[in-house]
Amino acid sequence: MFFKKYGDIVVGVFFMLLSAVVMLMATQLPKSAVMAIGPDFMPMVIGAVTFLLAALLTFLNVKNFKMHLEEAEAAADSIEECNYKKVLSSFVLTVVYVMILQPVGFIISTIVYLPLQMLILAPTDKRKPLPLVILAVIFTLVVFFLFRYGFKIVLPAGIFTINL
Amino acid sequence: MSALASLGNAFVAVCTPGSLLLMAAGVFVGIIFGSIPGLSASMAVALFLPLTFSMTPSMGMNTLVAVYIGGISGGLISAILLKMPGTASSIATTFDGYPMAQKGEAIKALGYGIVFSFLGSVFSFIILTFCAPMLADIALKFTPAENFGICFFALTMVAILSSGSMLKGLLSGMLGLMFCLIGMAPIDGTARFTFGSTQLMAGFDTLPTLIGIFAISEILITAEQVVKGDVKPMEIKKTKGFGFTWKEFTYQIPNFIRSSLIGTGIGILPGIGGSTSGMLAYVTAKNMSKHPEEFGKGCPDGIVATESANNATIGGAMIPLLVLGIPGDGVTAMMLGGFLIHGLSAGPLLFVKNADVVYGIFAACMICSLMMLIIEFGGIHLFVQLLKIPKHILMPLILVLCCVGAYATNNRIFDVQSIILFGAVGYLFHKFKMPTTPFVLCFLIGEMLETYLRRGLMQYKTFGAFFKRPIFDAFFFIAIAVLVWSMFKEYKAYRAKKAQ
Repeated sequence: MFFKKYGDIVVGVFFMLLSAVVMLMATQLPKSAVMAIGPDFMPMVIGAVTFLLAALLTFLNVKNFKMHLEEAEAAADSIEECNYKKVLSSFVLTVVYVMILQPVGFIISTIVYLPLQMLILAPTDKRKPLPLVILAVIFTLVVFFLFRYGFKIVLPAGIFTINL
Repeated sequence: MSALASLGNAFVAVCTPGSLLLMAAGVFVGIIFGSIPGLSASMAVALFLPLTFSMTPSMGMNTLVAVYIGGISGGLISAILLKMPGTASSIATTFDGYPMAQKGEAIKALGYGIVFSFLGSVFSFIILTFCAPMLADIALKFTPAENFGICFFALTMVAILSSGSMLKGLLSGMLGLMFCLIGMAPIDGTARFTFGSTQLMAGFDTLPTLIGIFAISEILITAEQVVKGDVKPMEIKKTKGFGFTWKEFTYQIPNFIRSSLIGTGIGILPGIGGSTSGMLAYVTAKNMSKHPEEFGKGCPDGIVATESANNATIGGAMIPLLVLGIPGDGVTAMMLGGFLIHGLSAGPLLFVKNADVVYGIFAACMICSLMMLIIEFGGIHLFVQLLKIPKHILMPLILVLCCVGAYATNNRIFDVQSIILFGAVGYLFHKFKMPTTPFVLCFLIGEMLETYLRRGLMQYKTFGAFFKRPIFDAFFFIAIAVLVWSMFKEYKAYRAKKAQ
């Protein structure tokens, strides 16, 4: 509901702020000594254009807020329920996975990550951990060795430094 | 007729069991690399390069060509079935391919993609064989000014892509441009928006960005829909052959020819590449279509346009490579390395000194396209089995492959971390109903735009001097016209909506 009602205004304001920051930072960039436009030119142009567009978007939406509100309410019945808890937990899990990938190593972190992520995404009636764990182990090892020997790409080994 | 005779001889020379087998293997591996998001055609070529050391020059080059062709085409499989483009070239395939798959027409969508990939590559190889030297002369006339014109033209396509919610589309594009700014500025190498991070100096790589926007956000969207057994596998309508009728095929021919010309044309120009050509062809097809509102909802025209164009880019990209020795993108740069390894120097003399190798490559291109058609056709029913895997199992596996692919791009963990950032951006775009396509298009073009603008200004001193170049003028003024026209259309639609 929130996204439908205020989405465009949020987008507009966000982009106005963002472009203001970009323009501000662009003024800090050095000017080119030899040519008409230096490294600060593009950021300035992009910032300015974005600011104008964002301001226009915000203005139009505030002006026509009533019209949008009616539309949003008309569409309210068909809105699907969103499971934000799952989105957030998936996101956090993925972030943790990516962060530990280097220090812990590909094999261990992936074997831990895969079943957890699958459990989060699985519908309640299909939560059987054991097959998922077996699948994760097989998949991880296949990917690791395929890349190691097939494609000559050495994935982070982490604490599992073995010379296979 | 000498071209035809040489081509005939080359066909005979190429058709030995050994080299046919090698090419089939190359196409097969290429398709696999292409279809996995994160593994790209250039990676596959890099992998095969050392394997060609021991082969004869023509056999080695033919194998590399096979990998290249398979790699570009393979991207369509995951684009259609999973809404994740396997390579940057097949981004626009997802727009209509995935909706078709959702409607149960996965086989038909794959059929269209495969057949027109094949036809697109053959089209460009015919042009390559007969007009290469002539076209290379034209490409040489392109200065940074003309290239800037083309990039600017491609940017204005954003306006058309986002008709209906133009302001948000344009904003999305601007964000893409902002992400391009991060890293070292072109020409002078000033660090911009790096916040003191050395990792950010090199900027965000294309591949991790695409994976993040398309694949990671898709996983978050899947998570959103988990409400008690809600994630159902898609149904698949059974169809015979390629899934479309002769009438549907002939209907696509004008679209095919237009898109292939765009693809070949973009391919010839160094540095622009398959991803842009696919997108440009898609937008052009949408614009020329009698029913533009069906685009994005599962209209085969979109698949035909993208796939013809991105495969036609291959033949186009080979023209400057063979004739001038200038590689147009990462893959052709790798192939240039292949030439050097085998003691051949690509360039004008290649046609004189090693005509057998050149025509061998032409012949190999055509044979490989045919192999791609056969292998992918044979695989259609196998590919669609992917849809039967429950999403809660498939998505995490793909995420791991994406991370591996992102890591393999530059062998640095930073790229893997950046896909998470772009995944979040993609998800927020989805929530706020912002189109992602303009973002991606602008991200791909942004750096080129700035580089060519500044290089052009170095050459011509003032921007006004750009207008003395007729090719630049054509692109620039068409772009302005397109922009004004789409704004006018958008304004009219806005007024009509308000009047209600």
